[in-house]
Amino acid sequence: MNLVLNNLQVGHKLPLTKPMSASFGAGGMHVLLGANGAGKTTLLRTVLGVQAPLGGQVTMETKMAKLHTTDAQAWGKHAAFVPSMPPKHVGLTVSEVLALSGSEEEAVSHHPQLEPWLNRRLSALSDGQAQQVMVARAMLQSKDWLMLDEPTAFLDVRGQRHLWDMLTTHLQQGGSVMLATHDLRGVHRWMQEAPADVSGGSSIHVLSSSGLSPLATDASLDAMEAALS
Amino acid sequence: MKTRLVFLLMLLLAFGLHIAFGDVDIAWGALAKALLSGGDVNELHATIVKEVRLPRAITAMVSGTLLGWLGLLMQTWFRNPLAGPGVLGITSGGSLGVALAVLLGLAIPAWVAAAVGCFAVLLLIGVGARRFVSPVTTLVFGLMISYAVSAVVTVLQSSATAEALQTFVFWGMGTFGKASFIQAMSFVALQVLLGAWMMHRASWLDMWTLGEDLAQTMGVPKARLNMEILLITGLVLGVVTSVCGPLAFLGLATPHVYRFFHTERGHLDAIQGIGMWGGLLALLADGVVRWTDSVAMHWPLNAVLAILGAPVVLAVLWKRTHDWS
Repeated sequence: MNLVLNNLQVGHKLPLTKPMSASFGAGGMHVLLGANGAGKTTLLRTVLGVQAPLGGQVTMETKMAKLHTTDAQAWGKHAAFVPSMPPKHVGLTVSEVLALSGSEEEAVSHHPQLEPWLNRRLSALSDGQAQQVMVARAMLQSKDWLMLDEPTAFLDVRGQRHLWDMLTTHLQQGGSVMLATHDLRGVHRWMQEAPADVSGGSSIHVLSSSGLSPLATDASLDAMEAALS
Repeated sequence: MKTRLVFLLMLLLAFGLHIAFGDVDIAWGALAKALLSGGDVNELHATIVKEVRLPRAITAMVSGTLLGWLGLLMQTWFRNPLAGPGVLGITSGGSLGVALAVLLGLAIPAWVAAAVGCFAVLLLIGVGARRFVSPVTTLVFGLMISYAVSAVVTVLQSSATAEALQTFVFWGMGTFGKASFIQAMSFVALQVLLGAWMMHRASWLDMWTLGEDLAQTMGVPKARLNMEILLITGLVLGVVTSVCGPLAFLGLATPHVYRFFHTERGHLDAIQGIGMWGGLLALLADGVVRWTDSVAMHWPLNAVLAILGAPVVLAVLWKRTHDWS
């Protein structure tokens, strides 16, 4: 489904940006860039329905149907979340974490690298491994949108690679991704290297107090940096 | 599974020993007869077993289980391994309720007063919970509540009657020995209630440990979960506290003992493990109390719990401090 922001204002009591209207096409990788404090996390929380908007609304739309964030049950089937830091102090094993959102067999069939970790505790894994588990879990919850908040922030180069690869897999399976990140290099490389049929419907937006402004998906690293400063 | 079975046997053994031994020597045969109320039983022995030892053993075992579960629940709710009903000041809230009822001679049942006190602190925590991001803040909060409560209690004590004062002081030392058979049975009912609720909500609790935002996107209704935790914790802790006193350490330490001896898993597993450990630890502590009674030393339950519990918590801190930065 397409994700539509309609005159959306987000924030705690005071709006962080001017009202935003945008449509994010199904099947695309939609990157949100923005300085610290620009409101990326607040926007993602609002889009996920965890936080109520100060004004306007977020919907998912097809020609046939329209879904609101307030329909929490249905919304959860179409939007799953991956926070930036994999949870710590969790007694759950990897297979128990996956079972909270679906079948572990399905997760392992898509991501065979998870298999050896199934009986280990989530908090015994490295951050990179744990983050892959969290993405796999999110993919079990929603075949549609994945919302990620700086998922590579705590990962080393290899962990970042794995994460981008998993997002590519999600797009290949017909899903969509919204990703807030500071990882300009990762975004740039993915836009360059991902097969065109996967990266086709993608977008990059810069979030600032004036709202969302689009950036070309083939923008150079320098252009991305310039847009952020 | 095998460890589970060994555990259950240990628990039954501790329970059996608790009933079998005491100041009055009762032969095994007479004991069985008294419990099963068959044959010609010595009247005195039957009374001792049924009205003194059995309610006490049940109260100890069930209170241990209940407090262990509440400890787990608080640690999950705050995603903080140092949380527990005592540490958070909830037990102190219960104490304040009982102090008001007993020392001012109010005509309300102690368990209602204790439950209201527990609710009050829980509400305070619920409102301020967002600020409790670090284990340290949580500890300081609980400490401040305890200070405030003991200040109010001291004021109340200064104008209380000698009789009321004595009642309150003895209550504060904690004991499993004051519960009637009916009260012991009401504890069992609470155990069924809390156990069933926790099993029913195990997957919500599992999701909650992954993070508050994440849990909500996975379908946990935060307001409803908070409300349920508030109500059930206030009720259970209020009843246990009013009957047995403000028990220390069982809530905080039991989940850590479970985590030390078992590989921790999700809540379904932890509920069973902690339930058994809580019962066992409480029976052991009360065994020590009863032994000191038998040699005329009369250690209060709370002293025994602190002597056994404090080293456990320190050991846990020693072992795990580095993860809690």
